[in-house]
Amino acid sequence: MNHVGDISIQAKQEESQFSYIQFRKETNFVVCTLKGVWSIENNSGSEVRKEWEIFFNKNPTIQVFKFQLDTQIKWDSTLVSFLHKCRNDLKVVNKSIKFDELPSGLSQLLELSEPTLLEKKQNEFSLSLELIDDTINYFRNVTLSIFSFLGEWVLAILHLFTGRSKTRFQDFALSCRSCGASALPIVTLISFLTGLTMAFVGSVQLEKFNAKIYVADLVCLAMVREMGALMVAIVMAGRTGAAFAAEIGSMKLNEEIDSLRTFGISPMEFLIVPRTLSLLFMIPLLTIYADVVGILGGLVVGTVVMDFSVIHYFEQTQVALHSMWEIYSGLLKSVVFGLIIGLVGCYKGLHSGNDSSSLGRAVTASVVVAITLIVIIDAMFEVSFSYLNLR
Amino acid sequence: MKQNPIKNDSILKVENLNLAYGDYQVLEKVSFSAKKGECLVVMGGSGCGKSTLLKSMVGLLSPQDGRILVDSIDLWTVNHEGKTSILKKYGVLFQGGALWGAMNLLENVSLPLQTYTDLGQSEINDLARYKLNLVGLSGYSDFYPAQLSGGMKKRAGLARAMALDPDILFLDEPSAGLDPLNSHRLDNLINELKESLGITFIVVTHELPSIFDIADDSIFLDGQTKTLLDQGQPNHLRENSEYERVRSFLRRGTPIIKN
Repeated sequence: MNHVGDISIQAKQEESQFSYIQFRKETNFVVCTLKGVWSIENNSGSEVRKEWEIFFNKNPTIQVFKFQLDTQIKWDSTLVSFLHKCRNDLKVVNKSIKFDELPSGLSQLLELSEPTLLEKKQNEFSLSLELIDDTINYFRNVTLSIFSFLGEWVLAILHLFTGRSKTRFQDFALSCRSCGASALPIVTLISFLTGLTMAFVGSVQLEKFNAKIYVADLVCLAMVREMGALMVAIVMAGRTGAAFAAEIGSMKLNEEIDSLRTFGISPMEFLIVPRTLSLLFMIPLLTIYADVVGILGGLVVGTVVMDFSVIHYFEQTQVALHSMWEIYSGLLKSVVFGLIIGLVGCYKGLHSGNDSSSLGRAVTASVVVAITLIVIIDAMFEVSFSYLNLR
Repeated sequence: MKQNPIKNDSILKVENLNLAYGDYQVLEKVSFSAKKGECLVVMGGSGCGKSTLLKSMVGLLSPQDGRILVDSIDLWTVNHEGKTSILKKYGVLFQGGALWGAMNLLENVSLPLQTYTDLGQSEINDLARYKLNLVGLSGYSDFYPAQLSGGMKKRAGLARAMALDPDILFLDEPSAGLDPLNSHRLDNLINELKESLGITFIVVTHELPSIFDIADDSIFLDGQTKTLLDQGQPNHLRENSEYERVRSFLRRGTPIIKN
């Protein structure tokens, strides 16, 4: 062998528990000897990588690199990954690498890990006309899917009336129980406290005019016109709308929706119609209940704090509710809210993606979108009632 | 580190293990040991408690009674740090791959490395890419699990299980749902990893071709008696097991033709 030069750049040679590399130049090739302890536990690989980069860049003329292991070496995957990287570096510039002198286990691993495919680039972000195009397409698709969802729903309801539907009554009944009766405790608590709070807030103001008894008017009108429907809708959006989205979304994740379709059963008729209809029927009932409990909340403040008799308070409430329209208007709103919550929850669940994080996003979106829509539509109702002289 | 595995030295030892879900007894008095650098196959019919045993060995289900010793340390009585250091020696491949859906493949494999080592980001990326290449997923590092087929997910799960160069790799039905070629490829990979890195494999499977390809030793769990029925090299068991159930399992039910 003809020794031209013995360039030995060693990283942390004195500490034997670290990895290092030695280069020996021969006439037309270089022998790289790997030594020390190559372990995932110590962080010495980066030094060797630097040595390699420096040597590789300084000697662009060398065409052949031979690798061998020191007899004392201990190694794990970090060594294989280093050799893997060296091979890739050399491949890029069309130089040859020889692993002949490596132990058979190591060369087997290197052979196995030889890249068979070029790196595929995915999810690259670039700001361009394409992006604008994509955005427009996205909104067009979303709009289309919303309208096709609504159209399908209406058709499914028509099917129900013609008796050709695959909707099962037991699904509807189960759903009614879970979004109706099971919601009673939380609705009781929320509406009772709403009535109670309004009575307190009102009493402070009305006391100034010495008109404390009008607390009864305030509480009952606010409850039946506005707060009953609104509070129930918000509770149901968080409780039932989210449950719909999660349930249907995870069914989609498990390919249960696909399996329904392959049986020729429309998920719209089988899953969505019973859920949306049950919410549509249950929400007005819950709203009536919430109205009553809210008025009772006001009554507690009226009798305990403000010393009115129960009869007096109820008489005043009766006077305030002079027409049934007050109650019907609240119920009308609640029906619309129920429809929105059910449809938004089911739509979001049905259109969630194929992984768990998109399911989480779908559930969040179902609640946020439903509550936003509820508040907007509630405002629209009040404005129109006021212009139509219905208040 | 794993260049010269000392064979015939048991790394995992299970002693008188009783496993149950609440009052429902799954396995009783199970004892066996796995030797370093060998592949132990856990086999048995559906519902015999294979996956339950695996769950218990990887620290997810505490046993009712008995011990699981890893390098002579009891997994279930050792303190928190001790358990963590045992778990660091483990790699687990779950049935469906159990990849984290919000991360791409490279991130999935990198996470254990980022958590448990001081390596720099570029080295971690190289190491993770190398592991993905090893299972034949070169070029897929930017893909999300939802974009992959079942077999690819499983292989990516294996790459992640190998991320920390484990001493023991637990594989739950690795070749179920793979096509014959990929299943064979996976078996070869297991054999080569075993030979070149000296990794101990505990493989839960009931795929017969795989069992004969990879197993150095095997245990047969029985759902009826809820016990470990027989132990030994599968080829040996097929011919010589004293239990008819074991023999017919290993022959796919075909009766022995006697001349």
